[in-house]
Amino acid sequence: MKRLSIVLLYALLFLFSLSFAYGEQAEIRILHVNDFHGFAEPYKPFGSNERVGGIAYLGAKVEELRRERPSLLLSAGDMIQGNNWANLFQGESVVELMNGMRFDAMVVGNHEFDFGPEVLKRRVLEANFPVLGANVEGLKILTPYIIKELRGVKIAIIGLVTEDVPISTHPRNISGIKFFSPMDTVEKYVKELKNKTHMIVVLSHIGHAVDRILAEKVKGIDVIVGGHSHTKVTKPVKVGDTIIVQAWEYGRALGLLDLTSRDGKIVRFEGYLEETKPKIGKEDQKVLAIIEKYEQKMDSVLNREVGEADGDLDGERSNVRKKETNFGNFVADILKDVSKADVAIINGGGIRASIKKGEIRVKEIYTALPFDNYIVAIKLTGRQIREALEHGVSGIEEEDGRFPQVSGLTFKYSPFEKRGSRVREVLVAGRPIDLGKEYIVATHDFLAVGGDGYKAFGEAIKTSRDFSVIGGMIKGEKVVYSDSGRWLRDVVVEYIKEKGRIAPKVEGRIKEIR
Amino acid sequence: MMKVFINDKSFHVLPGMTVKHALIRAGLLKEIEDSKKVYDEWGNEVGLEGALSEGIKIYVR
Repeated sequence: MKRLSIVLLYALLFLFSLSFAYGEQAEIRILHVNDFHGFAEPYKPFGSNERVGGIAYLGAKVEELRRERPSLLLSAGDMIQGNNWANLFQGESVVELMNGMRFDAMVVGNHEFDFGPEVLKRRVLEANFPVLGANVEGLKILTPYIIKELRGVKIAIIGLVTEDVPISTHPRNISGIKFFSPMDTVEKYVKELKNKTHMIVVLSHIGHAVDRILAEKVKGIDVIVGGHSHTKVTKPVKVGDTIIVQAWEYGRALGLLDLTSRDGKIVRFEGYLEETKPKIGKEDQKVLAIIEKYEQKMDSVLNREVGEADGDLDGERSNVRKKETNFGNFVADILKDVSKADVAIINGGGIRASIKKGEIRVKEIYTALPFDNYIVAIKLTGRQIREALEHGVSGIEEEDGRFPQVSGLTFKYSPFEKRGSRVREVLVAGRPIDLGKEYIVATHDFLAVGGDGYKAFGEAIKTSRDFSVIGGMIKGEKVVYSDSGRWLRDVVVEYIKEKGRIAPKVEGRIKEIR
Repeated sequence: MMKVFINDKSFHVLPGMTVKHALIRAGLLKEIEDSKKVYDEWGNEVGLEGALSEGIKIYVR
């Protein structure tokens, strides 16, 4: 009897709270960001000379807009990985920033998994806001949804991340974790929540194109706050009955969506993106203090000694683009070792500076390997490898960046022959290359998609069928390794830390002949 | 593998790759350096690190 009374009391309270919003008009606001990737400071986008973004400026705008009406501040994922300001602290800096900005919730993006499950658990524990992941199983620290109340409007916020996490991060980062269909997952939760709340918001890290499909196929979603595709949705779009928004990338814009709710229904909406422009004096001081605190720490991390070199590491432009160097060998060896490939081929142009003999500091590696490249390993035939090498030595006259630095193979070439017919005597592990055999070739994502004109990798990708993650390893027809969450420079730093002392040599891997 | 369309021409990239990778594949990254931008099929600008999905159509202009 007592239990029945308690149940009745709760039911009455619930009905009362729901009825609070019925018959009344409530004006609420959703502020949102996505794909911040640790871009705390203003930056110049590729192809532009204008400085944009800066989270301290965005933070100030958040505070201003919050004062106008009851608001939620949401993040649609990919916050803690990307820029050095985030990576050097494995995202701790970003979570402190988000705490300072009083986020209400975020969904995990695929890149939240890039530092591995243990780091992700630590970051979630540090967060003063819930981290959502309704379609993620095996990471109990994530919450499928939350219910927030603004002006008597009960709002369910369901978090969804792309199913593609297993193919966009290293298998070790998602060991024991499963990702389910966003569509099926959200359908289940919409059914569960539609009678308990007034409004359903999906915080989505599945990309704008898939958000649209989700809106078409699953009824009952009021708002999708999206991320993953870095889409600049300047005005909210409506697909069916669902409003879809997304706020570009890197804190370049703050998304604003104003909703008017009457009798539990959205009767009016309007929104826009507030682009973030750095203006001195317009920063949120609390956010600025967090940025500066980690910038100071960055200096100390970048100055940290990671190991020692027995000799100079030769990354001189005029050498790495023309001949084998010990630095080229060293980096290529790391790619080969890490991905367990047969051979590795990188472009000399990817190495931008030498490192002097003696102590090696993080910042020297970062200067020498400045590009945001990650390791990929693809199966190529001996013929394709040979073609890749031919291409690599075809721009030697111009000191083109395509010149190959290699591991696991040796070859001779004559710069005096015509382009395309210069390579001789390719040996893999000391044996003549078998043109018909497939070898696993490590490289980085830039060359894998045909950067610097390396068509062989692209051709291999084109002829490959799908791949999947089985037993923690990538299994596919052509692609055997892809770790988009770790920049090559960070892999090199870790490698040197592990070895302590390095002494790469020029070994005659590439010989110029007449 | 993932098939994407850039300016209505098809290209293949690895799943998990981004707009930037597709542009390199298509030899169009230089155009972005020269101030062109990338848009999706609904006319929204997209960032270079934006995720792609199977069959997605993007345009450089």
